[in-house]
Amino acid sequence: MIKFKSIKWNHYINYVVIGLFTLIFGIIALCGGRFDNSMLFLFEKIAISVILALSLSLVVGFLGELSLGHAGFMCVGAYIGGKLAVLLEPVIGDGVLSLILGLIVGGLAAAICGVIIGIPALRLRGDYLAIVTLAFGEIVKSLFQNTSSESFGGALGLETPRFNKNYLFIFAFLLVLLTLAVIQNFIRSRHGRAVTAIRDNEIAARACGINVTKYKLLAFTISAFFAGIAGVLYSFSNYTVQSAKFGYNYSIEILVMVVLGGMGSINGSIIAAALITFLNTKLATVLTGDLAVLQNLLYAVILIIIVIYNNAPALKRFREKYNFSALFDRLLKHRKDPEHPTDDRAKWDVVPTKIEMNEVLSVDVKAQNLDPNREKGGKR
Amino acid sequence: MKNIKFVSFFLALVLCLGLLAGCGSVNYAENNTEFILGVSGPLTGSAAMYGVAVANSAQMAVEEINAAGGLNGVMFKLIATDDMHDATKVSTNYSSMLEAGMQASLGTVTTTPGLEFKNLSADDNVFFLTPSASGDKIPENPNGYQMCFADGNQGKVAADFVSANYAGKTIGVFFKSDDPYSKGIYDQFKANLDQSITIVETSFTDANTTDFSTQIDTLKACEFIFMPIYYTPASLFMTQAKDIVGKKAVYYGCDGFDGIDNIPGFDIATIPQEITMLSHFNSKATDGMAKEFIDKYVARFGQETLNQFGASAYDCVYAIYGAMKKAIDEGAEISVTISASDLCDILMAQFQGGYTLAEGVTGSNISWEASGYVNKGAIKYIIKEAN
Amino acid sequence: MEVILSTLINGLSLGGIYAMIALGYTMVYGIAKMLNFAHGDIIMVGGYVIYVSMALGNPLLAILFAVVFCVLLGMTIEKIAYKPLRGASPLAVLITAIGVSYLLQSLAQIIFGSASKMVTVYEFGMVQFLGVNVQVSALVTLGITVVVMIALTLFVKCTRLGRAMIAVSEDKGAAQLMGINVNGIITVTFAIGSALAALAGLFYLLKAPSISNTLGAMPGIKAFTAAVIGGIGSIPGAMLGGILLGVVECISYKITAIAPYTDAIEFSILIIILLVRPTGFLGKKRREKV
Repeated sequence: MIKFKSIKWNHYINYVVIGLFTLIFGIIALCGGRFDNSMLFLFEKIAISVILALSLSLVVGFLGELSLGHAGFMCVGAYIGGKLAVLLEPVIGDGVLSLILGLIVGGLAAAICGVIIGIPALRLRGDYLAIVTLAFGEIVKSLFQNTSSESFGGALGLETPRFNKNYLFIFAFLLVLLTLAVIQNFIRSRHGRAVTAIRDNEIAARACGINVTKYKLLAFTISAFFAGIAGVLYSFSNYTVQSAKFGYNYSIEILVMVVLGGMGSINGSIIAAALITFLNTKLATVLTGDLAVLQNLLYAVILIIIVIYNNAPALKRFREKYNFSALFDRLLKHRKDPEHPTDDRAKWDVVPTKIEMNEVLSVDVKAQNLDPNREKGGKR
Repeated sequence: MKNIKFVSFFLALVLCLGLLAGCGSVNYAENNTEFILGVSGPLTGSAAMYGVAVANSAQMAVEEINAAGGLNGVMFKLIATDDMHDATKVSTNYSSMLEAGMQASLGTVTTTPGLEFKNLSADDNVFFLTPSASGDKIPENPNGYQMCFADGNQGKVAADFVSANYAGKTIGVFFKSDDPYSKGIYDQFKANLDQSITIVETSFTDANTTDFSTQIDTLKACEFIFMPIYYTPASLFMTQAKDIVGKKAVYYGCDGFDGIDNIPGFDIATIPQEITMLSHFNSKATDGMAKEFIDKYVARFGQETLNQFGASAYDCVYAIYGAMKKAIDEGAEISVTISASDLCDILMAQFQGGYTLAEGVTGSNISWEASGYVNKGAIKYIIKEAN
Repeated sequence: MEVILSTLINGLSLGGIYAMIALGYTMVYGIAKMLNFAHGDIIMVGGYVIYVSMALGNPLLAILFAVVFCVLLGMTIEKIAYKPLRGASPLAVLITAIGVSYLLQSLAQIIFGSASKMVTVYEFGMVQFLGVNVQVSALVTLGITVVVMIALTLFVKCTRLGRAMIAVSEDKGAAQLMGINVNGIITVTFAIGSALAALAGLFYLLKAPSISNTLGAMPGIKAFTAAVIGGIGSIPGAMLGGILLGVVECISYKITAIAPYTDAIEFSILIIILLVRPTGFLGKKRREKV
């Protein structure tokens, strides 16, 4: 019974933390406390990044496919949700109702785009999917850029009613909680296990009777939906939506968050998204002029090192020898043997970082895949 | 274990943010010891020439004012932040400047980020007078004013010029279809152009495009080409077009052309065609304030970033200073710790009430309309005659 | 008629550049089975090397330097960033490649600044061709691309090294068993691909004498599109795809109504081709083995 409780606590710790955070700051804001603009903007940006990182994490970390067009889905959400808010403004004002309707419609529009692009694209292998989503992102950007000024604002961008900045962050963090709830529960559900099975070995998954196309599309659509939600949030936290922002570079920025957080780790994505957004905002005022590029350089180097460290076969033994999380465990005198987690469910949010989707296609690694130990030991 | 790390990290983050929170303080200028002006512009990136020019010139104006004793003994200070011509950087820049005690602003240097800035500043009632963000909507709110000509105005002046000189002929237009500045001018140009003139238009989108052979091919027969674009693509177009477009052709640009004669590696003398632009600043002026400004600027920062954006920013600082001074003379209370919002009300009253900058680098008797647009003379400035 | 001809010639010369980049993509993809996102940025590096070494005053020497530098760079990148990941998932390799691409771009910005630099390599001038004024540099670009394509095809078909490449691309394990040095072959492939990228950088400078740190980003993506359209892994396919894309781009820019949508049109072609014929025009169909 006690054990059951402790599992629960572990399971929901991320909700509790974000929830507490929202509650404390929300109460202060609602009681008339005023925060500095810079902090309010930072909260909004962090919430948007976290939602984006969570949604991309579902595709990259758990489905094992690479989407380079996530900013495209966000763009659809931002424009559709923003436009709806503009149209509704004379009818219902720019309050909560407008925000909620915008979120639903913008999210659905992005999800529909996800289905439209997903049905054909998911038939393709990894690299091709990456390039098709990239193409999709560029197409969306270009289409919105060239709309007439009456419809979506064209080159000038769409002017949207900004939500009251003193309270928007509360809704933003509630949306983070919603996103977390949906994505985490999806991953922990039967469907989620099907999705991770596809990632680990598509052919084996298919042989087990999993409808690969259906699950791929499901994960992709959910992901697109939340990217759209982030887009709507963006349009409510800014006065203008300019499609030039939603290019390839922005998609990469989201990808960096997911990769740095550890692919396949929900909490890692949240931390990385929050941290990177925080650093980006703070560094922007410190690193000025041509120094600003140092930041990009740093991200590039960290990205390369982390991916090689986590994925290089030759580094595997090194990692096992100097397992930092195991060392950390031992330091805290935990008896739990890191190699044999007593309860698999408690570890669901740290699903293995390593992704081996196409290994079965090459001859030399086949034997490895059949190793039964991989099932439980497949962790960093 | 992951969870404990997660919790500890998040609590640390909350703590960090908590430290940053200065709840409740409305007047960030409370502890100011000097008047603080702020500007956000592209100090790096493809439009850096403009941002750097504005930051340099404004700094120069501020130092001159301080050397002359400031405003009744109170000094001025300028904060310049880098937005890389990107609208999403503006909210951070704006709030950091405001919280550093900014009391009045020069807004943004370019239009794209300016569209965000105008609303952010309207929320807090912060006065801005932008040297160069020329979008029509920039001075939409009562707190915003422009020192440069609005895009619509530039398009209209250009159209009047073309209608008068090229009636019944065919002219070419080369613009960037996804750029608010370029599209804004072109739309107004097209709307005001004489019906007898036929337009051949061609465009590009990607900012990294360097190859314009198709566009040049389209325009090669035109003897007048209107180019409401920035100097970098314009210089590439001219280099590639020098043997293709007729030697007697005229390239006509707006303020985005400014600085085209100072690009390293681009020798304007090798371009056979005439290059003309609509401007409020003559960078080869031989007398008056413009001459003084040019000499001072070149001596200090060099020739490379000398352009009308800087000249305009120099005037902006003096205009704000002059308006504050006039308000004090008329009996308004302006202390060094005045809040941005209070100062905004005073400055707005001045600018609405017919305040005039008698002598500036970019013109004389500069005044402002109620809409926030500037009232001054434009000059058609020939950068280079046809060879 | 004249309009069609001049558009076609512009398209062919732009297509030549795309084809040159696509050849590099297609070889690396065919043999190392990885999408080298940093390929486009090698073009930019090549351009900057030419920009710097033009100080010596000899264009041919500058080009030589650029090619040598890019070959060494390509081999170094392969050694440091991609080789440790051999056998890891394609996703990991792809993300590393994106990291390398960003690394090159930010390094270039730190060294040369973000403003674009102007450099004139050589001015060829114009010639009359069927009543149309044609840039000689466009013809040079097209000519070199065709020669390179033919040379590469012969190299792959007729030399030991080339046949070893084919073997590696068919089956790495079997090739290794036959005594082929797989790592060596992959390094050679990267070297060839980078040399082609350096040439593409030269072509860009011939077309427009300006270089910035993002020069290679869009062409890189478009050339990959071209490689996919032509059928990835196929050398004539890359040529065909590149030329097709270049011509489409120029025609689209020529028609005022659709000019702003040019990028969208090019990428739509990619999506349509991948749906109708996932292996591209000249690609071989591969069966997935279990």
